[in-house]
Amino acid sequence: MNKKGQMKIQQMAFMLIAVTLLFVFVGIFFIKIMLSEVNQSAESLEEKNALLTVARLADSPEFSCGSAFGTSKSNCVDFDKVMSLSEISDRYSSFWGVEGINIRRIYPAIEGVCTTENYPDCGKINLFSEEGVGVSNFISLCRKSEQGNVCDVARITVYYGGGDE
Amino acid sequence: MLLELQFITEEEMNKRGQEEIVGFALIIIIVAVALLFLFSFYIRGNDEESAESYEVDSFVQSVLYYTTDCENFLGNFSVQELISECKSEERCSDERDSCEILNQTLREISGSSWQFGSDRPVSGYVFNVSVGGLELVSVQEGVQEGNFRNALQSVNSRGDSIEVSFRVYFK
Repeated sequence: MNKKGQMKIQQMAFMLIAVTLLFVFVGIFFIKIMLSEVNQSAESLEEKNALLTVARLADSPEFSCGSAFGTSKSNCVDFDKVMSLSEISDRYSSFWGVEGINIRRIYPAIEGVCTTENYPDCGKINLFSEEGVGVSNFISLCRKSEQGNVCDVARITVYYGGGDE
Repeated sequence: MLLELQFITEEEMNKRGQEEIVGFALIIIIVAVALLFLFSFYIRGNDEESAESYEVDSFVQSVLYYTTDCENFLGNFSVQELISECKSEERCSDERDSCEILNQTLREISGSSWQFGSDRPVSGYVFNVSVGGLELVSVQEGVQEGNFRNALQSVNSRGDSIEVSFRVYFK
């Protein structure tokens, strides 16, 4: 009977160890999955945050269309304002806390950096530098013309300091 | 007497064995339920993640504001206005079909903005415009498989309820 009892206790101990190990493995598996998910969501949050910063910059008074083109629009940049700003960009170099801002017209696609001579038949405006990590988002690039209000599809890219952060 | 004792112990042993089997089965059921619960939670989380995209949303918004080369006596139409013109089967001042211009414009903007190919991260896209549940324009390019980002915008223009959806697929 004593031997049988010992056997029973051993059996129970093995069973408990096996069940505990099973739970530990399952736990490790799900913790791994959850940690990778946390990493992914941290990355997507970072990306979203950067995009929101770009959107906030596009909606700042120095860039935004306001109500100049009919109703108030978000993600709308006034081409005339940006062109004026590019001429005095040195004064604003530390205003937004970014390394550089670049606006590129996507549709209709036109080549050439904008100057006072070729405006509005140009495709790119550079404010400050084009160094660092760039985050971009789509915007409407609107201007006044002889035909009325004209809005194009463009991309605004904001450059943050250094890629080694 | 000895036989009786032996009989009792065998019966007890059988009972204990049955109890252990029931216990083991219970543990397996509990573990299986826990696994199913965690697995369903994991799957639900993934669905929510692939649904939203701020960048695609901004793209749709800027497309709706784009000024087309179709005009009437009041001036050039934006894409949003052109959708209403297309729905009413109106023509531009130069007699071109508004739906044709809309289709061409959406195709060209999407092509310039989301270039796809074997050496690019984008594999394809679908651009749909519907008014009051009726599909007006559908632009489909590339391979529509794999991970995607989606944007759906509902706007009211001239009393029409316009639904614009854009889905871009990544490798």
